[in-house]
Amino acid sequence: MKLPKDYARYDDEKLISLIIQAQEGALAQLYDRYSRLIFSLALAIVNDRATAEEVTLDVFMRVWQKAASYRVDQAKVSTWLTHIARHHAIDVLRRRAVRPDQYTANWEEEVSNDELPEHDPQEFAELSFQRERVQAALAQLPADQKQALVLAYFSGYTQSEIADALKQPLGTIKTRLRLGMQKLRDFLSDERRREDKSVKAESAYNMTKEE
Amino acid sequence: MADNTHVLDLLPAYALGSLDSSEADRVEEHLSSCLICRAESNSFQTAADQLSFAASDAAPSPDLKNRLMQRVQSARPQPPIPVQPSARSWLERLLPAWSLASSFLIIVLVGFNLLLWQRLNHLEVVTSPGKMRAVPLSASDPASRATGFVLISADGDSGALVVDGLPPLDESQQYQLWLIRDGQRTSGAIFSTDEKNYGGTRIRAPGSLLEYTAADITIEPKGGSPKPTGTKVLGGPLFNP
Repeated sequence: MKLPKDYARYDDEKLISLIIQAQEGALAQLYDRYSRLIFSLALAIVNDRATAEEVTLDVFMRVWQKAASYRVDQAKVSTWLTHIARHHAIDVLRRRAVRPDQYTANWEEEVSNDELPEHDPQEFAELSFQRERVQAALAQLPADQKQALVLAYFSGYTQSEIADALKQPLGTIKTRLRLGMQKLRDFLSDERRREDKSVKAESAYNMTKEE
Repeated sequence: MADNTHVLDLLPAYALGSLDSSEADRVEEHLSSCLICRAESNSFQTAADQLSFAASDAAPSPDLKNRLMQRVQSARPQPPIPVQPSARSWLERLLPAWSLASSFLIIVLVGFNLLLWQRLNHLEVVTSPGKMRAVPLSASDPASRATGFVLISADGDSGALVVDGLPPLDESQQYQLWLIRDGQRTSGAIFSTDEKNYGGTRIRAPGSLLEYTAADITIEPKGGSPKPTGTKVLGGPLFNP
């Protein structure tokens, strides 16, 4: 008898290659890994659970139908998924010609992990860790820069639209976005460097111990 | 011509997708030729991508995965009917009706006597708007209950085959229809039958089907053969052109 495949042991790229072969188990596994991330992002953009679920379904259906368009040299699978989700959710907002109130974009300082995931706790922990990093980076920004970034990313506003929404000169908004993004990038790269160093130090320590 | 002025100040907003379209066009044109700005742009893009993690953590409904898998199921293409590609669109629309009509005729044939068989050997089915021929094929083995019809459109450009009483073959074999002209056999269809010993397929042939004088069906390796190699199961004359 043929045993069912254990898709959990495959990395994201392998799952994509299996989805291209129309293996539904691979899609189910990718869903288990990223549905929470995609749904959270969609909800932050459209601010409505039912719509966010529709966006989530559309994202994974698109993966099912267009997995062959994924290019491993251009982005990680998770980044590819969030790109699709963000653009689709913003399109939904634009089609409705309604955007969430500028001050209620659904993001927050703290990670709410009161609902434990049904599936892989390790993956959930990794996502939580990434959330913490980004939240910490955003916490370093002045409120006006953070607000401009949130409106640009989660509401899909152009700089001119942000200026109109906040009743600020366009030049001011451009400066806020530029400074906010520079700080975010620098903070996240410093974090990454620190992590790399710590990983290297840990492996060096382990190697020494083994010797 | 590419714009040589660096666009460093625009790159943060470009990464967020918040530039106006004219500015975005300018950035894209410049990035196509400037390695410095492209590297800078990539670093901002990486940072912007991280913003997806700033969304409040929320879980979708537990049944969403079932809904996804149901959609996947409904989006799956139906298993292909073992038919040859091609045929005219009007024939494609008529095919189910042809198959139904033919099945009915075959059931009638199986139920009636040899005399009816003999009469039907010269049957021509006339349907509106054109004249369509239904030519019976008979079993090579007298003990076999296999029957079949070749259906040919009035202009001879389209055709279909229906058979009954042919048992499903093992996975390594298929039935193959041969069209005969001047003693030469040309493949007209490769098909399988179902558990009810019934099968149907469109016929594809170079040139008009009216040019062929006879047809027969043999058992061949899966995917068909260039020339008949297996047992003949059905056959019969088509026309006298």
